[in-house]
Amino acid sequence: MRFLGSRAWLCLLVLLPLGELGAHALIVSRVAPDADFRAAADFVRKQLHARDLITVAPAWADPILRLHLGDRIPLSMAGRSDDARYERMWVLSTRGALPVDASKRAPELQRDFGRVRVLRYALGKSPVLFDFTDTLLRAHATIEERGHVRDCPLHRGGVPHGGGLGRGVLFPLAERFDCDPRRPWLVVGPVVTEDLEITPRHCIWQHAAGDDPISVTWSDVPLGSELVFYAGLYYEHERMRDHGPVRADIFIDGERRGGMVHEDGDGWKRLVIATSPQAPGARGEVRVEVRAHEPDRRSFCWSATTRQTTSQGVP
Amino acid sequence: MNLGGRQIFASGGRPACAHDHLVGLVLCALYITLLWHTAGDIGLSRDEGIYVDAANNYASWFELLAHDRPTALTRSASDHFFHVNHEHPPLAKMLFALGHLAQEKWQIFPTESLSYRFGGMLSAGLLLWLIYIFGTRLYGPTAGLFAALAYALLPRPFYHAHLDAFDVPITCAVTCVTYAYYRSLSDWRWAPISGVVFGLALLTKHNSWILPGIFALHFVWLAATELYARKRGHAAAVSLVPWGLYAMAVLGPPIFLGGWPWLWHDTALRLQEYAAFHMHHEYYNMEYFGVNYFWPPFPVSYPWVMTLFTVPLTTLWLALAGLGHELGQWWRQLRVLLTRASADALAQPPIDRTQTLVLLLGCCLAPMVIISLPSTPIFGGTKHWFPAYPFFALFAGRTFQLTCELAKPRLSGLSAALRCSFAPVFGALLLLPSAVETAHSHPFGLSHYTAAAGGVPGAADHGMNRQFWGFTTRSLVPFFKQAMPQGGSVYICDTIWTSWQMLSRDGFLPSNIVASFDIAEADYAIVHHEKHFIEVDEQIWTTYGSVKPVYVLRYDGVPIISVYKNPHSRR
Repeated sequence: MRFLGSRAWLCLLVLLPLGELGAHALIVSRVAPDADFRAAADFVRKQLHARDLITVAPAWADPILRLHLGDRIPLSMAGRSDDARYERMWVLSTRGALPVDASKRAPELQRDFGRVRVLRYALGKSPVLFDFTDTLLRAHATIEERGHVRDCPLHRGGVPHGGGLGRGVLFPLAERFDCDPRRPWLVVGPVVTEDLEITPRHCIWQHAAGDDPISVTWSDVPLGSELVFYAGLYYEHERMRDHGPVRADIFIDGERRGGMVHEDGDGWKRLVIATSPQAPGARGEVRVEVRAHEPDRRSFCWSATTRQTTSQGVP
Repeated sequence: MNLGGRQIFASGGRPACAHDHLVGLVLCALYITLLWHTAGDIGLSRDEGIYVDAANNYASWFELLAHDRPTALTRSASDHFFHVNHEHPPLAKMLFALGHLAQEKWQIFPTESLSYRFGGMLSAGLLLWLIYIFGTRLYGPTAGLFAALAYALLPRPFYHAHLDAFDVPITCAVTCVTYAYYRSLSDWRWAPISGVVFGLALLTKHNSWILPGIFALHFVWLAATELYARKRGHAAAVSLVPWGLYAMAVLGPPIFLGGWPWLWHDTALRLQEYAAFHMHHEYYNMEYFGVNYFWPPFPVSYPWVMTLFTVPLTTLWLALAGLGHELGQWWRQLRVLLTRASADALAQPPIDRTQTLVLLLGCCLAPMVIISLPSTPIFGGTKHWFPAYPFFALFAGRTFQLTCELAKPRLSGLSAALRCSFAPVFGALLLLPSAVETAHSHPFGLSHYTAAAGGVPGAADHGMNRQFWGFTTRSLVPFFKQAMPQGGSVYICDTIWTSWQMLSRDGFLPSNIVASFDIAEADYAIVHHEKHFIEVDEQIWTTYGSVKPVYVLRYDGVPIISVYKNPHSRR
């Protein structure tokens, strides 16, 4: 009890509130004003190249990045699975933060705009030869029902209605292959959906219909050395981990070259398939089939690229 | 019968006098005034909107009761008016309804929302009064005043004190029942009061269910120590009859049943339904250290870390120091009581035979322990253990009072004026961080985190919940007024229709700017930034074909709401 009247205790009780006030003032003073973001964004905007990635750190500042540079951030960038298609990375950084996918190497450019630091990293030449999501509308989709295969015609237009939590992807999609007009979700089309980590993914929606597959086929695809395939399900359809698996099979020139069984809990799952490492310029037909024995809420979505790489590491 | 008078005031406390009640009244009035003048900055949250709907129904029932009592008391009337939101008891909503009726009749309040919210504000003000009186009785007026101010200046309770919701009323009710029970230990006349206020607490919110358990445990401990002390030759100090608990058991249930017209019919079934709703409550999403929790098991650390991250450090430190001091004191007293004969014990400082610390500790810990259980939903953030905070504040007040007392010898060389001003200046210094943080938290109360979390940006770095209930929409009003001078529509994300409507009815938002539930049809769409709301971002990106918002509402640089403009809008 005597301690409460001691000089040390009194000093502590004087220093503690002062320290707390100081910490509060420091935190508030380190907030980057909008003008700094604007100046940094203007600087980046003037120097953007076609294969530049724009990102922000810390990640929670992403809406501010999109406010200033959102017109230069397509859905494919906002919902990327990895950074392979980019050759340079621009980072708008505050409070010394770096994005998790920043290069370990030193940035090739660094410039401060008030409290916002612009960093640019060289990522090297992109190994990506072909992006399946970007080229989906050039593909051909089909659905198989009791042994009978029929086309899913390409439709454009239509306005999705509603919105909100638990609704997931809104239908109709602006551009989609309709496999069953009675089941608006039974389409193949480009969407942005969130995976099990609640991360946005720009991907091809290919909801399973049952044991028979829904297929989508591209012809004349530059095959490169590997096909990198990512897939997952809409967050709310996967998070309870109480639904059956989804199976995806990847065929090149009619031959099954790989596949994935996606179980609830797998999240955004990666698969690498060797394509034609011995024939660098080879092209071929690629088909992706998706099926699930219990198709309810099997909102399978995937993205993939073919790449010409020299190593097996993730670019 | 007053068996324990000497022991009750063992820690420097004294009975509250008229002057103390005047101080309490002033605290109450000042706090309500502050809340009154700041409420307009905070939009109606989701739950408030639902309680407004319920209050409107209750108000209609009150009117019917006044004009046609037989009809109002029929089953069809009580079912009709009390069906809405029958998963929560009615007392707080009745207060909101009375505020609304007063507004309709006398136009007392500057805005319609304030008329509903006033009942909650009143309970917040009364709570300060009660904390002051409780603290005065336990540790003296210095402790009581500091405790009341320490509670008033907690950022999250300050936010909730504005609302027409149950969390501050139940905090007030729990504190009130505890005070009455505590008084009943030494004065049986407080027993019926315990019973009545317990009934009212039951009518306020289900948090009150835990009180008999806390009090029973306290009384078992009290009785055991008392019996042992008597065996050792100590004189009887407290009654071994739990009058307060008896009164709660006898008066609580009938007041609860009588005060809730919904339970007047199919009573057993509806009681069962009410209990089941809360025992098997739906789980919502809550981000904690970057993980979106929506299903048990929930992290045991949640209430403790959130308390650390949201209660200003100085206040928290003072509370822990006070608790530590009281525990040490209690342990020493217990040893004296149990190991020394009566004659020896008389030479020792007086002993609190009512085991007040056990009671306060129970009230402090029980709400947090319950939320720590892995099966307890955590969607409500800190508000679910607000009933613990008045007791934290009392411990903080105890530390302040002891420190002032023990520092007196050090001040002997100072002038009388300086000696007199020591306590107020020292108290002001200790409360200044809380005052600054609370002022800074407004109107983003639920988004606020203290320096322990690194502030709002630090909490965002840690992946802590940014907000819930969609209340921040109010802060977008200036943007929408500028963006849509001719009116238009907004997809309102987590805000509910009643809450949006209230912005218009309060005169903040032009009535031609209307709510929409359709992203594609709306002129603008908003997203409240919580981890799981990225889904709505994505819906907007896909529908509008762009990821670019036109405005981002920020708090300390952290995005709170993004606003997107529909490219197909003609506005």
